[in-house]
Amino acid sequence: MRSPRFGLAVPAWVWLAIFFIAPIGMVVWFSFGYKPGIFGTHANDVLSLDRYAEAMSPTFFATFQNTLWVGVLGTLLCLVIGAPVAYWMAVKAPPSRRGLLLALVMVPFWTNFLVRTLGWQVILSPDGWLSSGLQAIGLLDGPIDILYTRGAVLIGVVYNYLPLMILPLYVAFDRVGTPLREASKDLGASSVRTFLRVTVPLAQPGIIAGVLLVFIPLMGDYITATVLGGAQGNMIGQLVASQFGTAQNWALGSAMAVMLILIIMLTIVVAAAILWLISLPFRNRNRLVLEKAS
Amino acid sequence: MSDARVRRRGPGAGNTVLTIWSVLVFAFLFLPIVVIIFASFNSGRLLVAWESFSLAPFAAIVEKPVVREAVLVSLRTGLIAALFASLVGTLAGVAMARRPGKWVWWFLGLLLLVSVTPEIVDAVALLPWLVFLGQDLGMSIFNDGTVRLVIGHSLFSVAIVSYIVRARLVGLDARLEEASADLFAPPLRTFLKVTLPLAMPAVLAGFLLSFTLSLDNTVVSAFVQVSGTTPWPVYVLSSLRSGLRPEIAAVSTIMLLLTLASLALVAYVLKRAGDSASEIARTMAGG
Repeated sequence: MRSPRFGLAVPAWVWLAIFFIAPIGMVVWFSFGYKPGIFGTHANDVLSLDRYAEAMSPTFFATFQNTLWVGVLGTLLCLVIGAPVAYWMAVKAPPSRRGLLLALVMVPFWTNFLVRTLGWQVILSPDGWLSSGLQAIGLLDGPIDILYTRGAVLIGVVYNYLPLMILPLYVAFDRVGTPLREASKDLGASSVRTFLRVTVPLAQPGIIAGVLLVFIPLMGDYITATVLGGAQGNMIGQLVASQFGTAQNWALGSAMAVMLILIIMLTIVVAAAILWLISLPFRNRNRLVLEKAS
Repeated sequence: MSDARVRRRGPGAGNTVLTIWSVLVFAFLFLPIVVIIFASFNSGRLLVAWESFSLAPFAAIVEKPVVREAVLVSLRTGLIAALFASLVGTLAGVAMARRPGKWVWWFLGLLLLVSVTPEIVDAVALLPWLVFLGQDLGMSIFNDGTVRLVIGHSLFSVAIVSYIVRARLVGLDARLEEASADLFAPPLRTFLKVTLPLAMPAVLAGFLLSFTLSLDNTVVSAFVQVSGTTPWPVYVLSSLRSGLRPEIAAVSTIMLLLTLASLALVAYVLKRAGDSASEIARTMAGG
């Protein structure tokens, strides 16, 4: 048993070091450089923070605002839409059906991301069946005018990331288990009270996991915004991509990529801090109750 | 407990609302998939405008060399990337479960970083790096289309396989391997005859999930691909500008069936290995 099995992880270490850490390190390095001319993509002989200043142009700022709007609202919508489903699956649905229901959530999740999004392009298209159907029953005067707007991107991201919210929430609600909820009800708590005071606090790790699982990839989304958003639905991911693609300005693109990562991390830290501040009064109240009781 | 009638009536209305809501959300989840499947039987020139029922889009897969080639590139890359990720990820997963130490936290941190980094950042980072390795350093292997795709697809897959294998082995008793060692089996023999069979359901699940992930990969592929080895999703992405044709829906429908088959296999393998529904869900959601 004294075999050096630590060594088994070496291939994975090396692989990820060469093809994950090194490339990202290179991008960070590029972000301090500049674009030397029309044909060059990057040069690093003069180092500066100028690309970061350049990246914070009004275009970037507008796109950043849009991305944050879609990211925060999309995550909240996923939570609001997904939580009842996860709760229903874990608590109310017949246990024998739960495997099937989970499979039903997982099929869209594992279906090609691009294809699912194309499905929405077809649905939301002004000459699609939804548009003509809504006009036929008189709900709309003209064809649907939502494709290539922020609204379309929002629908797309909520759709695309919803399974990532439902799955961890399901696992969390499932873990809470019936005995605790029944105990709460036997002690006279109403359903709502049981849900708020027993189920939600115990499911909190799952809720946090779901929010992070949705928010992080959503902020970096490239496909949904490209397929469903037009000029109005631009997201930072596209801005980064266009600097590496059409604009051939790797230095500026690198600075934008680094900022994207920093923004995601910063938003998470800020959100955690706000949640902590909100929870402070409740913490104190609980402590008071406990002190009184003891 | 005393008044069952009241208790049943109270949450009853809430239950109905919950059930209806859930059914609506499931319909929402399947709506675009159903739309794409329908569109794959469209005889029209464009995917959006329905003309009449036809199987022509499916025939195009065989007839059009570009489409056929893209699908084959996807399948080939998927297989190689999944094999590679299973190999490297399994070794790492075993090491994490059986040789835990401080290093495991560093490694888990790295895997977490790999899984949360936005795909677009991976993509724009890999492109200059592969150009650097292939052209500036002259390692021509990195100019090869398949190699580039496999590298790009393997990152996330290695993380997934490592997670799954570790999760499975952590739950199993290491004494089985100690017994094997006590009975004088050399380490390699113990690994092949005891550890690997124990981990096999997780390895298989990881393999199939990696394969599916590779078929799905669009963003990284679009950046690192070399013309001539264009995988299917990148072909679709590039035809966004020129107009989506029904054969795109047809190939998507076939790919969907392939994904479904892999998922069903994953679920079957894990179920045989004794996992519960929520354990399977956790595995498939990526640990």
